[in-house]
Amino acid sequence: MSGQSAVRPPLGWRRYRLLWIGGVLVALVCLAALFAPWVTPYSPYDLDVTDMLQAPSATHWLGTDEIGRDVLSRTVFAARISLQVGLVAVAVGLFGGLLIGVVAGYWGGILDLALMRAMELLFSFPAILLAIVLMAVLGTSILNAMVAIGIIFIPGFARLARVSTQKVLRQSYIDAARTIGMADARILQREILPNVMTPLLVEAMTAFAYAVILESSLSFLGLGAQPPEPSWGNMLSTGRGFMAQAPWLAIVPGAALFVGVLGFNLLGDGLRDFFDPRMKD
Amino acid sequence: MQELIRPRRRLDTPPVLAVDNLSVQLQTRQGTARVVEGVSLEVWPGEIVGVIGESGSGKTMTALSILRLMPHVARIVGGDIRLSGTSLPSLSDAQMRKLRGNRMALIPQDPLSALNPVQPIGRQVGEPFVLHRRSRWQTAWEQAVRLLGAVHLPLPETRAAEYPHQFSGGMRQRAMTAMALALEPDLLIADEPTTALDVTIQAQVLRLLGEIRDEHETAILLITHDLGVVAESCDWVYVMYAGRIVEEGPVGRLFAHPSHPYTQALLNATPSIELAQAELAAIPGRIPSPYEIGPGCRFADRCAQRLARCAQEPPLLPVAAEHLARCWLLEEVRA
Repeated sequence: MSGQSAVRPPLGWRRYRLLWIGGVLVALVCLAALFAPWVTPYSPYDLDVTDMLQAPSATHWLGTDEIGRDVLSRTVFAARISLQVGLVAVAVGLFGGLLIGVVAGYWGGILDLALMRAMELLFSFPAILLAIVLMAVLGTSILNAMVAIGIIFIPGFARLARVSTQKVLRQSYIDAARTIGMADARILQREILPNVMTPLLVEAMTAFAYAVILESSLSFLGLGAQPPEPSWGNMLSTGRGFMAQAPWLAIVPGAALFVGVLGFNLLGDGLRDFFDPRMKD
Repeated sequence: MQELIRPRRRLDTPPVLAVDNLSVQLQTRQGTARVVEGVSLEVWPGEIVGVIGESGSGKTMTALSILRLMPHVARIVGGDIRLSGTSLPSLSDAQMRKLRGNRMALIPQDPLSALNPVQPIGRQVGEPFVLHRRSRWQTAWEQAVRLLGAVHLPLPETRAAEYPHQFSGGMRQRAMTAMALALEPDLLIADEPTTALDVTIQAQVLRLLGEIRDEHETAILLITHDLGVVAESCDWVYVMYAGRIVEEGPVGRLFAHPSHPYTQALLNATPSIELAQAELAAIPGRIPSPYEIGPGCRFADRCAQRLARCAQEPPLLPVAAEHLARCWLLEEVRA
């Protein structure tokens, strides 16, 4: 990429503050999800009706919900759903968008026109509305939510991939590749793909954060993770009804969502600065 | 005059490259641009042949047409290109791909951005072996190291593992040259190989081209706008102006007796140290647009020695043995 400097400065705190904060927050969420069964004091599904709507205490650090489940345990386990959805949705969007964008950018012409108009059509719907429509078509399940969110991401990745491809195509190393007799498929694989991946990976981080929000929104509306599976979205949804008696029911998953999304956004911005120091203001 | 006969021309084999009456046109919204018209040139084994002309003279388009790498608005509308006797325009795209990088190679105009920034140099230089010879990557890498050494890159083993941004301009040019030379092509086309480099590096690159010619009997077509480069390294030169060859001949003879007013003006416009000129001599006027080329001599509008006959374009007329110029003045002198 044009932004590659000769020598990269070391990963200093002062220069890459965003990268560090984002990295730590993301690591926190990832570790929580990965080791959920070992770090949580209770099972997220065990209910105890004698213990419902308990305020935070020494036994239940973040209190219990309306049927006596431990809020801390459920919040930590919910990170698993969020990360799974993020991974699958971003993978679907990245792969689909890359394919469409690179093909449109490389061959151009009528193919480019058709593909990009289709992408704009997808883009023109509000994301959450499109997700609801897709869920209605695909059926309500967490897997379908992942696919639906992935489809929402395709136009964004496709546009970025197309622009990056066109930028790379203007570089003379593409001409040089033709000069030594490379065919289209080989040029795509060896010259184009490695050079368009950087901006797409940065975009993937931002998309990841957005996927976490979208998943929570869908779950909030009852279209994502299905009870008793804990998700920050459906926890918020039930917690909303108990705001007066038990505010921790909504505040805890809300705060978790905030930390996760903030982490991925900061990591995305940090990575962008890292790959292209000139973009920093 | 016998010594002027092209020494490397042989009667038993065809030239490595023979361009015969080539015409290339661009079809754009502005109309039809006649960028190359009736160009014929030959390159024999072991010869460095220069094509010289200012921007827009059609020299790069000629080179790209030989490799069939012109922009998609360009079309070869007439003439033939033969590589060691094989006619290229009749080949399929796949057959052309097999020739490029294998039997003919190009050193591109801007070597500084002609390397992929995300791949180590050695992989890129070794690529032709994988592409055309189906070598394994390890063999290709060893060959790349050997080639980098052959183009006088210091520490080739270490350097092969580095990336383009770690290379200076001259080093990248050498890497590009190594890549072009990889499979020992019969024909090497160098399109302004020294333009982006500073003068000391230019001299090294030209010396390298000379070495390549001497070692492998490679035929080299050198495209340039720099008279100094031609004088220093070429055996034979073609002068192009507005898509036409206006003068051709052996370098020494052509520089001593430039016979087309354009060549004369070009030589006069070159600043020299001996005559510390107060002002740089420039050729008045501009090269005609390829969209509006009339029937007359293409240089007539800028020519100080213009005649009435110049409303009609002259053919290439003999000046001396093997020295031709496209100018009516030659007939005037004789008459």
